[in-house]
Amino acid sequence: MENEKIITVAHLEKTFGDHQVLKDINLEVNRGEVLSIIGASGSGKSTLLRCINLLEQPTSGDIKFHDQSILTSDFDMTDYRAKVGMVFQSFNLFNNLNVLQNCVIGQTTVLKRDPEAAKKVALEQLDKVGMSPYVNAKPAQLSGGQKQRVGIARAVSMNPEVLLFDEPTSALDPEMVDDVLDSMRALAHTGLTMILVTHEMAFARDISDHVVFMDQGVIAEEGSAQEIFTNPQKERTQTFLKRYLQGGMR
Amino acid sequence: MKQHRNFLVWLGLLFLALLAIPTQTSQAADNTFKVGMEAGYPPFNWTQTDSSNGAVQIQGSSSYAGGYDVQMAKKVAQSLGKKLVVVKTSWDGLAPALTSGKIDAIIAGMSPTPERRRTIDFSDTYYKSQLVIIVRKNGKYADATKLSDFKGAKLTGQLNTYHYTALNQIKGVIKEPAMKDFPSMRVALESGTIDGYVSEKPEGISVTRANPNVKMLEFKGNNGFHTNPADTDLAIGLRKNDPNKAKINAALAKITPQERDQIMTKAVEQQPQSKSSGNWVIALLKQYGGMLASGTGITLLISMVGTIVGFIIGLLVGIVRTIPRSGSKARRGLLRVVDWLLSVYIEVFRGTPMIVQAAVVYYGAAQAFGWNMNRLAAALVIVSVNTGAYLAEIMRGGIIAVDAGQFEAAHALGMTHLQTMNKIILPQAIRNSLPAVTNEFVINIKDTSVLSVISVSELFFQGSTIAGQNFQFFHTYLIISAIYLILTFTITRILRAIEKHMAGPQNYNLMANQDQVSVPKNNPEV
Repeated sequence: MENEKIITVAHLEKTFGDHQVLKDINLEVNRGEVLSIIGASGSGKSTLLRCINLLEQPTSGDIKFHDQSILTSDFDMTDYRAKVGMVFQSFNLFNNLNVLQNCVIGQTTVLKRDPEAAKKVALEQLDKVGMSPYVNAKPAQLSGGQKQRVGIARAVSMNPEVLLFDEPTSALDPEMVDDVLDSMRALAHTGLTMILVTHEMAFARDISDHVVFMDQGVIAEEGSAQEIFTNPQKERTQTFLKRYLQGGMR
Repeated sequence: MKQHRNFLVWLGLLFLALLAIPTQTSQAADNTFKVGMEAGYPPFNWTQTDSSNGAVQIQGSSSYAGGYDVQMAKKVAQSLGKKLVVVKTSWDGLAPALTSGKIDAIIAGMSPTPERRRTIDFSDTYYKSQLVIIVRKNGKYADATKLSDFKGAKLTGQLNTYHYTALNQIKGVIKEPAMKDFPSMRVALESGTIDGYVSEKPEGISVTRANPNVKMLEFKGNNGFHTNPADTDLAIGLRKNDPNKAKINAALAKITPQERDQIMTKAVEQQPQSKSSGNWVIALLKQYGGMLASGTGITLLISMVGTIVGFIIGLLVGIVRTIPRSGSKARRGLLRVVDWLLSVYIEVFRGTPMIVQAAVVYYGAAQAFGWNMNRLAAALVIVSVNTGAYLAEIMRGGIIAVDAGQFEAAHALGMTHLQTMNKIILPQAIRNSLPAVTNEFVINIKDTSVLSVISVSELFFQGSTIAGQNFQFFHTYLIISAIYLILTFTITRILRAIEKHMAGPQNYNLMANQDQVSVPKNNPEV
């Protein structure tokens, strides 16, 4: 089990028009692993994450889920996306639904779960992120931190194999960040495979098994959290971390 | 007599003709003689609420038609051995109704002009008229005896009639723009915006009887207008090669000039008068309440069904037009074709007036394919399809306006495009576009008035009929306006309430102390 590969990215390239955003990305994610992707804005980390659940169509290269390529035309994308959850920077809660419905709708429409069972799962997950008192609230009535915790509960309610986080705390006020990070930490401890794009360096250092530093569309350096944060080899990584760590890690 | 070139109607028919559809006429070989008239041009024809004075029930209505034309029609029908059916048709719709077979004859105070003879045929003359000028009794021109007295007077006549061109015979007259119909000119005269209008004697007799403030001026000998018999004669409009023409002419020949004058005098006497006793609002509502109520009902029905069906059409079109262009080449190609067809639909129906669409659909379909649609059904179809074209773009905008993150989140959960639209996007898009739908509803309530071209008896059509009978234009239209205002105001409020309801409650209840699923572990007894 230790080295069961869940996601394998091979020679991935992505171009928007003339602009090449990702160049020859190679990456392996093992079951139960927490992978953090760090790097400056515009380095391509979000695009990589969005390619992994096909919100962006890769230009070339391959992505495998277990041993199956997700880029073949006969691949069951619905099933795959249900298994690979996503938490967004801008939350993207469904504005027309309340908190509970947000966490139920995916289960009933995609997984075809019985509504009562789905509700039970949703309430469990909302409880874990401390949002069960707000089941009747509409997204517009919540604060950013609350929204993001619902976003996490929504994704986890699908019982995904992998959960992707796209800068989940970047749009939050500082005092709300911790609640969200706590929820994520709790999830990591359950053994869920997580791929995380973040600017929260201290969090990445504490939580990650595996860290990837991206710079200008390529993976500049990768290794364990220890290797990257305490002993970075490349100058680019050092410069980047220095800038981020100047203010002290939180 | 009246010489409208019902331009819009013919434009529509020309459009159909260009499609090279073989023209055919549907003619039910039944035992009825269907006669088209406005039923709003006393003393020739008018609408009344009972069958007194030999009035004939109007097809598909609880009202009756009376007047000189009706009496003539009765005699002709009798000689043909057929049962007379009066079909109330707006002036613009008469010729198309005849050629498309919806009626068998036009007896509506129409003159057999060479221009009209190109499309339809005419019987012999059944009434001979002369031109007069109607002025205010206390006005500057009340005592005019010859045309030259009108130097400097502001005069007008009905649009596309020889009445109006006859004004050229008056030297120094100020020719005001021509007006749509007689009611408009009567109002203009009373309000003082014009000094007089050109009319024909029977209309003049009618209006002076109904309104004591106006006077009809007749001119003797060479003091009056020089007119052409083709203009002053009235004849029955018939389809070309109508086999009954000889019989009809024979029937007309049997009616002597004395008899005609008698019938006309009677008609002038019998035409409906306004019962002006007490409060005018109450009097008007008492006399015409039924007509107003049915008009209001029809207007509401058409605009409501039109808006709802139009909304469904708009929603479907909006959904189809926002399907992402992905997948196989064949799928993309198909989508492009469908999208193009839908754009054509939207452009055509947004880009042409509804009045033209009504004429094309109702008369065009009958003339080209022999489809005899029910008027109300045609109206419902036209308003629905027209509204659909507008709402399609509004719904498309509403869908596009939903944040891209909503699509992404739904896709990331594994929802298909259809599920995403159905559960997430459309509820938001519909809510966002509700104000525009309300707007469209209000527009529909008012715009159904153009359906009078296909003689749908909606509120405006009923209002014009009433005004044509009681000559109380200002009063009648004031009441009509009030009804329109009440309708639109009420509808706006109702839809606003629906909007609020869709927005959901402003507050939410915290569920902190209710055990939803997990009971806090430190007090398991709860």
